[in-house]
Amino acid sequence: MDAKPLLQLENVTVRAGNKALIENVSFDIQRGELAALIGPNGAGKTTLLRAILNTIRYEGTVRINGRVGYVPQRLQYDRTMPMNVLEFLALNLQRLPVVFGVSRAIKRRVLDLLEQVGAARLARADLGGLSGGELQRVLLAGALHNDPELLLLDEPAAGVDIQGEATFHDLIQRQVKERNAAVVLVSHDLSVVSDLTSKVICLNRTVHCVGSAKDLLTAETIAHVFGGHKAVYGHHHH
Amino acid sequence: MFEIVSNYFTSGWQAMILAGVVCVTLASGVLSPIVVSSRMAFFSDAVAHSTLAGVALGMLLGLGSPVPTMIGFAIIVALLIASLRQFTTLALDTVLGVAMAGSLAIGYLLYFHQKGYADLHSYLFGQIALLGGTDLILLAANAVLSLLMVALFGNRFLLMAVSRPLAQARGLHVARYEYLLIVVLGLAVSVGVRAVGLLLVNALLIVPAATSRCLARSVAGMFWGSVSISVAGGVTGLFLADWLGLPTGPMIVAVLVAAFFVAQCIRPLLRRARVEA
Repeated sequence: MDAKPLLQLENVTVRAGNKALIENVSFDIQRGELAALIGPNGAGKTTLLRAILNTIRYEGTVRINGRVGYVPQRLQYDRTMPMNVLEFLALNLQRLPVVFGVSRAIKRRVLDLLEQVGAARLARADLGGLSGGELQRVLLAGALHNDPELLLLDEPAAGVDIQGEATFHDLIQRQVKERNAAVVLVSHDLSVVSDLTSKVICLNRTVHCVGSAKDLLTAETIAHVFGGHKAVYGHHHH
Repeated sequence: MFEIVSNYFTSGWQAMILAGVVCVTLASGVLSPIVVSSRMAFFSDAVAHSTLAGVALGMLLGLGSPVPTMIGFAIIVALLIASLRQFTTLALDTVLGVAMAGSLAIGYLLYFHQKGYADLHSYLFGQIALLGGTDLILLAANAVLSLLMVALFGNRFLLMAVSRPLAQARGLHVARYEYLLIVVLGLAVSVGVRAVGLLLVNALLIVPAATSRCLARSVAGMFWGSVSISVAGGVTGLFLADWLGLPTGPMIVAVLVAAFFVAQCIRPLLRRARVEA
């Protein structure tokens, strides 16, 4: 394992007016780690990801020692827009505007990305007609376009059925293992967090605890972070 | 009808009008997919309404041509709308409503003060027959600029149209590109006003892509469909207006709107054919 953390946060604070949305958040993520960011609604999880992505103003330090890929929480988009998956993924990959066509080399690259997430058959599909699970795979393929070393996933399985969710989680685990990447996953599903991740960061405006899922997902910690309404129940994917 | 059409290719003055219509519809056909996909239809309408104030300001300042103040005022209003949207919590439709009503009222007061009702009609509905050599150069430059915009930044505008947060997360300076788009739209609108008038120019930026997107299955199809429909609708409208002795600007828009309704009728048939195929 590389001694230098892939992601390093030191006292990161994001304010909206006088109110701190997140305050003095500090933690490290190493290569090969699959970390879950958990916390109740309004805890600042998406805000923290946006600070890491440098799309909002923040105080403190964010150090990223590698390329970053990002899969957003439930992409809101105009489903009536006539755009196929190939064109959508090519938007990031080629300089030539996609309205003038997609070059052969970029087509091959898009198919390669889609194959990595088991979705090559979707290349010609309408973006607006994708199911929740298919869209998440396409977004993951899009996030892989620059061979990221750090993947930030904001509740990627929200709105996806159980089978789709299990497949998606397998894909994420493969990314970590095969590419020695790191993943920071925002999730509400504590059983998934417990099954999938090697590290848990409990956030509720500030970091309450950081550690392994086994150690941290206890009734006591959960009550402290979530306010005592949650528990972990194991479930199995077939 | 044949004689009317052939005159546009033989008479220098009419050829210039034809070239003007091709330039203005080419520019709007190129920009239309971005305007429609980014949901900026009312934005361009508000900017179009502000051009009257620019014209009146030009008169007030005693300028020979109202074009510089018209373009300048349109771009200032466009940037003002964008800034209000970015730095206040006001809803976009509120900002647009205030900008549209405010600039039209001020524009009309200034215009009335200068000229009463004289020539107002030509600014409201355009008068393409009055286009001069300078106007044609401006329209051609605007068409080239619109094409350049799409060629250089088309993918970025489309990504922003699909999802602003995703575009931001992919490292795009979204606000910067929004301002750029706004300036180019302000320019296209104020130049287009000369041809079809401030009340109708917005139709040129909405109807072509609104028509092509209901038939297309890809962004490329939507784009080229929009350009083709816009230019074909413009030229057809020009010839029809001449043939029937009716004003050109409203006829061009009427032809484009007719194409929109035809596309709406064809759409279910196309969909059925695709499913069967």
